[in-house]
This record gives sequence, C-alpha cells and structure tokens, in this order.
Amino acid sequence: MKKSMIGAAAAATAAALVLAGCSASSDDATTSPSADASTGSSDGAMTAVSADITLWLMGGDTNDDLRQYLKDTYAEQNGGTLTIEEQGWSDALAKLTTALPDADNTPDVTEIGNTWSPTFTSVGAFSDLTDMYDELGGDSLLQSFVDVGMVDGKNYALPYYFGSRSIIYRKDVYDTAGVEVPKTLQEFSDNAAALKTAGMSGFYLGGSDWRNGISWIFANGGDLAKQEDGTWVSTLSDPKTVTGLQMLQDLYTSGSNAPVTEFDSTPWININDNDSTGKPEAATIMAPNWAHWSVGDTSLDDDGNVVVGDDGATAVRTWSDDKFGTFALPGVDGGAAPVFAGGSNIGVSASSQHQDAAKQLMTIIFSDEYQTMLAGAGLGPANLDFTSALGDDQFAAVNIEAASNSKLTPAAPGWAAVEGSGLLEEFFGKVNSGGDVAALAAEYDEKISPLLNN
Amino acid sequence: MSSPVTSAKRDTRSEASLKAALQARKAKRRARLTPYWLIAAAIGVIVVGTGYPTVWQLVTSTQKYGLAQQFGTAAEFIGFQNYVDLLTDAEFWQVVARSLVFCFVVAAVTLALGLAFALLMNAVGKAARLTLQISMLLAWAMPIVASMTVWTWLFDTRRGVVNYLLDKIPGVDMYRFDWFASSWTFFLMAGIIVTWMSVPFVAFSIFAGLTQVSEEVLEASALDGASDGQRLRLIILPMIKPVIAIVMLLQVIWDLRVFAQIKILQDAGANGSQYDLLGTYIYKVGTGAQDFGSAAAASVIVLALTIAISWWYVRKLMKEDV
Repeated sequence: MKKSMIGAAAAATAAALVLAGCSASSDDATTSPSADASTGSSDGAMTAVSADITLWLMGGDTNDDLRQYLKDTYAEQNGGTLTIEEQGWSDALAKLTTALPDADNTPDVTEIGNTWSPTFTSVGAFSDLTDMYDELGGDSLLQSFVDVGMVDGKNYALPYYFGSRSIIYRKDVYDTAGVEVPKTLQEFSDNAAALKTAGMSGFYLGGSDWRNGISWIFANGGDLAKQEDGTWVSTLSDPKTVTGLQMLQDLYTSGSNAPVTEFDSTPWININDNDSTGKPEAATIMAPNWAHWSVGDTSLDDDGNVVVGDDGATAVRTWSDDKFGTFALPGVDGGAAPVFAGGSNIGVSASSQHQDAAKQLMTIIFSDEYQTMLAGAGLGPANLDFTSALGDDQFAAVNIEAASNSKLTPAAPGWAAVEGSGLLEEFFGKVNSGGDVAALAAEYDEKISPLLNN
Repeated sequence: MSSPVTSAKRDTRSEASLKAALQARKAKRRARLTPYWLIAAAIGVIVVGTGYPTVWQLVTSTQKYGLAQQFGTAAEFIGFQNYVDLLTDAEFWQVVARSLVFCFVVAAVTLALGLAFALLMNAVGKAARLTLQISMLLAWAMPIVASMTVWTWLFDTRRGVVNYLLDKIPGVDMYRFDWFASSWTFFLMAGIIVTWMSVPFVAFSIFAGLTQVSEEVLEASALDGASDGQRLRLIILPMIKPVIAIVMLLQVIWDLRVFAQIKILQDAGANGSQYDLLGTYIYKVGTGAQDFGSAAAASVIVLALTIAISWWYVRKLMKEDV
C-alpha cells in the first residue's frame, strides 16, 4: 500500500515537471492589441497604437548609428520599443522560412535579400504596401528592386539599400609591372594573367564564387534564367552565357590562385599586405563597394601595438591612394559591365500582429533623414533622390557607375531555393576546375529548371 | 452440525480471508502497475517529443510541401511520388553509398582506437590513467562549434598547422595543400574529426566494461601460458562483448546521421553535392531548397536504413538478455 502511494507520488511529480517543461512560454508576445482600425493619415506622420516591435536586419551592413537612429525615432513617434535583431546571411533563409509564418515569432519588419524577394513575396509572406507606395517614395525608388518585390501589380517588399561590386587594385603592383587600368573586359583578363605569380593572384576569384563570376555572364549578354510562356527555364546553355562562362574559366585558370571550392567570402584580406610576408596575395579583387573600409594599411600606436577598432579585435585600416585604387569592372566594349546588383528589400511580415506600428517604422525608414544617413554610410539609398549624399569621393563615383548598369538574378518564384541548394556554387566550381562548359551547362540547366517554378 | 456461533465464526473467518485475498490481489495488481505509472511520464515525453515529429514527417513525405505550404496553402497529397523520385535519383544513391561507407569506416576506426585506449587505461598507473581520462573528457565535452572552428584552422590551406607539419616531412610537398579540393581529402578530414570526437565515449564505456573482467580468470590464463594476444582475444573480448555491441551500434547510428561537423566543414569552403552525406543532403533539400516533402521522405528512408542496420544487433541483444 505504501509502495503504491510512493509510486503514485513519484509519477505525479514527474508528470508535473514534464508538463511544466512542455508548456510553451509565449508571454513575450503579449502586448497591447493594436486596433486594426487604420489611424494612418496621408500627411506622412502615421500614428499607431504604441507597440513593441522587432526588426530583423541581415548581416552587419546597417551600422550602429543607423540602428540607434531607428530605435530613438521609433520610441519618439510611437512610444513603444524597437528591438533590432541581426541575422547572419548564411542561416537567414532558414530563419525566415520558419519565423515568418508564425505569428508568435515573426519579426514585424524584416530586411530580405533582393534575390529572395520574388520567392517570399509570391508565397504571401509580406503585407500589401501598395497604398503606402507613394508616401514612401513612389517612383523615386530604385525600380528594379521595386519590381522584384511586386506580385500581380501590388507592392509587398520595397527596396532598402543597394550596393554594387567594383574592383579594388594595388596601384603599386600595377605600376611596377607596367599594367594600366583596363578599358575592356578582355584587357582585364589579360592583365590578370600578366600579373599572376606563384605567390600572388593577378585577380583573386574563388572558383565557386558565382556572385562575382556572374558579371562575366551578364557582360556577354547572357542570363541565368528567363521566362517562357509564364514558366521559368534555366538558360545556362544559352550561347551568350556559355561565352561568358568560358571567359570566366580562362580568367580563373590564368589569373587566380584562389581555391576552386572557395565561394563568396572575404577577398579583401588578400589585397592587404600579408602580415608575415609584407606582400599582397592579390593584385586585384572584386568586392562590394563598402569593402573599401577593410582595405588599407594598419598602423602602430605608441606602444608598438596594432591599432584596433571598437571591437578590440579588428585592425583599423587606412586607405592610401598611392597603394590602392578602385574602378568599375569594364564591359566587353568599354563602359561599366553589368555587375551583380547587391542590396536588400524590406517589408512588413503578413503574420505580424502589429501591422500599423510596423508600417510606421517603414515611414521612418523611408524618411528623408534616414535615406540621407544610409547614403552617408556608403549604402545606396532606396530613394534615388538621395544618391548625392553618397558623396563625391572615388568610391561613391565608382559605386554609382557600377550600380547604374547592375543586374539582378532572375525574379523567379523559386530563386531562393536555387540559392539555398548550392547548385550555382557547385556549377561554377566545376566550370572553373576546367570542365566542358557546354556539357556542364546542359547538366545544370536540368537540375535548376525544376526548382525555379515553385 | 456446528453451532451457530462456530459457524458464524467460520463465516467471519472465511469472510475475513476472502477480504484478505481480495486485498492481496489488489495490492499485487497495484504493485504490478506501479512500474508502469513511474515510466508513464517519461514515455509521455518521448511520445510527444519524437512521436509528433515522426508522424508529421510520415504525413509530409506523402505530400507536395514547399514554401507556399509553409505560409498556409493546403498541401497536395501525392502518395509515394516523393519516395519514387528519390529512389530513382542516382545522386541520392551516391549520397547513401558515401554515408554508409563513411559510417562503417569511422565506426570501426573509433571502436579500435577506443578499445586500445581502454586497455591502456586499464594497464597504466593512477596518474597516467587520470591524465588520459581528463584529456579524453575535455575532447568529448568541448562544444562542437568551438572544436570545429579550431579544426578548420588546423586544416587551413595557407596557415594550417597540419599542412605546415606535414610539409616538414622530407619528400612530402604539402605547401598550400587544399584539403577541400577533392572529396577524398574532404572526407578524410571529416573522418579524422568525427573519430576524435567519438573515441572518448567508446573508451570510457569499454573501460567500464573492462573493470568487470575478473582478475582471477586472467591470472589463471596467465598461469596456463596464454599470451597477451590470446588473453585479449579469447577472454577479455568475449567478456565485454555486450558493451562492445552496444557501443558499436550507437557509433554506427550516430555516424550515419552525422550533420554538424560536415555542415561546418562545408561552410568553411566546399559546398558542392559531392561533399554531402545524408544529413547535409536532407538539409539542402529541405531548408535549402524548401522542398520539405522530399526532405521528409529522405528522412524516413534514413530511419528505415538505421533500423535495418541495427536490427541484427538489437535482436542479438534481446536474445542474449545479459
């Protein structure tokens, strides 16, 4: 009798512990229920019930000053707290897939890579912003980014910032070798081959780096996919694409020492002087425009230690114009080549429970002050009226020149799946290992086409 | 004829004994059921924790479930189409073959090394044993991401210690050797790392089993003239067979499902499908390409594979009933 009582008590305790552990704590989602009745006025200053909302940003591109401005202004205008969470690019896709549909865990506003916008907008992850479109900038917004955020004529995700890729090179190395800044794409390849030595790449390009390599496809008039009668097909086998890929293959083989499996990473570490050898490992690199902050020479402080930034670990680098230079990748016949248009869109999550407060944050983001601040930080503002705030130094000039001709990946609904599957890295890696370009293109067309039309 | 008093006494006595018998049976039943009540809570947790995902996977594997379904569109039932597509895909079979070879090779090497270390621990003095056990414990307890960061530095192309040391061997040229370039060297690297992480568990388990081997039997065999090798093969191994069987089973199952180490290595520089094992393949199909239906089907296939591999061991274990 005693035994069974003890047994029952043990079972009850265990059950209690288990049930306590199992209960999901969703208390942090309880906030004042925002009235659905729209209190937005069309004079620009939206008023909404005070609510605590969350903003997701991808990677570290938006710097701390910009984040602080958003938090302060939101608190001032809405009274609630804005929490900003940064997501790393590598697991952002998985996080967005799982968090956006879940009303308890979704960010209210989120940045989203422009190449992922068509996928997420076409499945209904974002709220319709068409009625706010003119208020947020209308036709002054970067139209190619607006287009990838549109479905059936309605706006779901709007541009956040754009950047483009440009070339950074070692002026001192070029001068010693007697090489000039190239005017055409072929000259660029020839230069890279001439500059390459055993210890230094003429042009540092990872074999599986498709975000940089895609510029050669675009420059030769090719594309990754196109829409035929409403269905998207992969066009790697298109003759112009194949020409571009062959040019890339020659460039990689004759000009780069980078591993064939390396993809889009941190090429700027190669153009700085190597700590132990004092020489650069690359004479030329291609990187997003803001990478120039990480290029330069380190300096020593009075104690002989390397000067580091606020995080205590990264060395502060100072650009010097006699050592480094920048130019836009030249096109096949001169001018600026169409490079990969980097940047992000931004939208309000459809399952967010604070729609009005989220839309108020959007007005803050698209306000004149914030757009000017974005440009001042070197990020191309969504509202093209403010591109002059990018400045007029060489970096801004190159950024604008490269961005003017930049191209996006295909706006296919399944494009995020193609990126997530790693097929492009694999394909470029095999091409650059010296494979038969036409055969590989046909093989990968078959693998990619089914993914495009989800 | 018995008097009414005595018959009443007999009645009460038989009533009492009847009552006692009933109570005894009740108590027996309660006692029989008590163990089940005790484990009911634990089973409940397992059913909810692993049963729900398993059922969800089985259901989803029969549907066409993509990103649109994640956001609310109803999923279309397509029966076994996902399975058919997977089982007729040459690439899937390549991944399965690679995973099986990887898991058996790594499990075998881990077991051999673990056994060696366990025998060593058994044979040395206290100080040496303690040192060995502490260092193994540290290797095993280190968080995977932290240890993978260090391992990728060790195997780094330009500044890795492994390339540096191997290059010092005369005649071997490992200057800037790229471990990520071919899938052979990639899996060699992965194998070394997974073995390093698994050996401590095997060593400790076998060591625990070794402590149960009685000294008298070993002494008697030594008196009879058995060599060390014979002692190991004919006395020690048979006595710790149950431990080895369980440990081998666990290693095979874990190495078949290995994910974190392979994924982190892939992120460090080699993303193609020739570097995929089952874990990362399912991740790429599911979370990467958002085809959750296929990923669920692949997971069910892996589950079936795991059951098939361990079936023999589990049956043996249950028969032996040690």
